[in-house]
Amino acid sequence: MTTMLKLVTCIKQVPMVSELPWDPRTGRLKRNLAGGMINPACRHALEAALILKNTHGAEITVITMGADIAEEVLREALAMGADRGILVSDPKMAGADTLATSLVLSKAIKKACADFDLILCGCHTSDSETAQVGPQMIEELDIPGVTYADQLDLNGRLLSLQRLSDNFIETLEMELPGLVTITTQKQAPRYVPLAGLQDAFSQTDIDRLSLADLDLDSELAGAKGSPTKILKVYSPTATKDNTVLKGSARKIAQQLFDQFDDKIGGAIGKDIKNYQERP
Amino acid sequence: MDFNPCMKHKLVRRTVRDFSEAELGPIAHEIDRDARFPWEVIEKMRGLNYFGLQIPRKYGGAEVDSISYAITIEELSRVCASLGLCVTVHNSVGAQPINSFGTEKQKERFLPPMASGERIGAFCLTEANAGSDASGVETNAVEVEDGYIINGTKIFVTNGGICGVALIFATVTSGTDKPSTNVFIAEKDMPGFSVGEIEDLCGMRANPVSSLFLEDCRVPLDNCLGQSGSGIKIALTALDSGRIGIAAQALGIAQGAFEAAIKYSKERQQFKKPISSFQTIQNYLADMATEIDAGRLLLYRACALKDGNKPFGTEAAMAKLYCSSIATRTTNLAMQIHGGYGYSKEYDVERYFRDAKVTEIYEGTSEVQRLVISRAVLSQHT
Repeated sequence: MTTMLKLVTCIKQVPMVSELPWDPRTGRLKRNLAGGMINPACRHALEAALILKNTHGAEITVITMGADIAEEVLREALAMGADRGILVSDPKMAGADTLATSLVLSKAIKKACADFDLILCGCHTSDSETAQVGPQMIEELDIPGVTYADQLDLNGRLLSLQRLSDNFIETLEMELPGLVTITTQKQAPRYVPLAGLQDAFSQTDIDRLSLADLDLDSELAGAKGSPTKILKVYSPTATKDNTVLKGSARKIAQQLFDQFDDKIGGAIGKDIKNYQERP
Repeated sequence: MDFNPCMKHKLVRRTVRDFSEAELGPIAHEIDRDARFPWEVIEKMRGLNYFGLQIPRKYGGAEVDSISYAITIEELSRVCASLGLCVTVHNSVGAQPINSFGTEKQKERFLPPMASGERIGAFCLTEANAGSDASGVETNAVEVEDGYIINGTKIFVTNGGICGVALIFATVTSGTDKPSTNVFIAEKDMPGFSVGEIEDLCGMRANPVSSLFLEDCRVPLDNCLGQSGSGIKIALTALDSGRIGIAAQALGIAQGAFEAAIKYSKERQQFKKPISSFQTIQNYLADMATEIDAGRLLLYRACALKDGNKPFGTEAAMAKLYCSSIATRTTNLAMQIHGGYGYSKEYDVERYFRDAKVTEIYEGTSEVQRLVISRAVLSQHT
């Protein structure tokens, strides 16, 4: 007898991209003024979970760490087809960096859904762009993991994944249980059905976990457990400096590499200045 | 008294806004220009419950509350009023009368395909000589064995060109009895039922508004809605709910035009300053914001009364009267703020301007709303 596949999707509430108000004095986001939404990559992770549910049958638990208002993204996920929502919330969790966040989420998953088969996370968030929480959870939970996947195919306990890496597609395989972070490249997330939205509020309760429930030292959560210090936040200044290279194709190519080796190297991920051809 | 929207209503707004901006935004201009009904978007809306908004779950609907309903119509209309019109007419005056007055057999037969959007509903009261005077319908129904034979012409039927189910208001004359108004559920495949040409209208051009012809159209007894002679009651009940939908639609148009005006006023430079820095423009924007907010409060009050199973007809009439009037005022000011560009079809405010006007006319003109409101006011102060 096979048991129901147990999926966990970690989602984060981020400010609406279209409503991102900045305080020009401090350079910080005025989070309390912006409407909240599911982080776009997390929405793709949820879509990947919903596709697995549709094809294989699964129970999807969505989990988020945040203030009470983050209940909204859990309700939205339930409306889209998730089965259970968990809000991990405690004033002592405020100000968490990625390390403290991944620790809290890992503890919450161990506490509330220890028998998970697969954890799906967005590959990064639109409000901080670190892309660290998923990989850190892989370490914390000591499970196999793949980052930046954009397509999943499950066959028994074997998960095949594809990810775009530079200009080629990698196909990987991973035994469950594991964790995968999902990009926004494929499978546009479904729209929320209005009947599902009504049910998400009338038929399902959100489970809540506090720091005490996780049996976690408060020194390891929130700002206290966060080694990352933000020194400054600012908007980059856009510039339009154009350089016109003239001459023969060979001369232009030479100038290009002489003058812009750092930019070209950065784009393709190679140290061009010290690059040596293979013998 | 809490004036803050609850989490559910905030999510309904964002959900519908996401859909509208992504799916309707890119085509709203084109379907208005070409007077094209966008079936490709309708297919996407069908699975998201837009056609079963207030239809009970047991018949496949979403059974949303009235505030969620109003927000849905408001957000669709903020981007594309023609589609907002299609959805609200289908739901409020197409499906709801069947839900409220239909037999169980009729509900089981008609509501599931209406909830899925497979069959779109229409409400056919207006005729060449009837409209505001609901009792003046000249479409005639003659009782025969197992049903009625109907003859007449309905005009300005919203969703007329695409409807699968049409509620026909007709006068029944039989023997010496006093003529009565009855409602019949006509189906598009019935012999004698046909659709006229799509009207070439000022606004709402993506909605196929048309005439419907009934020529010796035989309607079986199973398709008679409500008691014999209850036509006026069904019409007035349906229109009470319908007014919530049209008020929401008008509010959405006003909101769309208002946002366009704010954006443009910040971009448009005159005398080396954005025009939003001039007090005249600021006054316009302040008036628009205040009126939209007032309209929204009137509308949601009517919805809250309806959800609380309290009388809401007068409040719905007030909301419809006020929201439609601010839709025309707001779109007028939005066009003024846009100047010459606003008069061009290049900018959305020109479409909003054309779409707004009819909200003062259909589902009860502003004059009829004043009649409804004044009757209530006078009866309360005897």
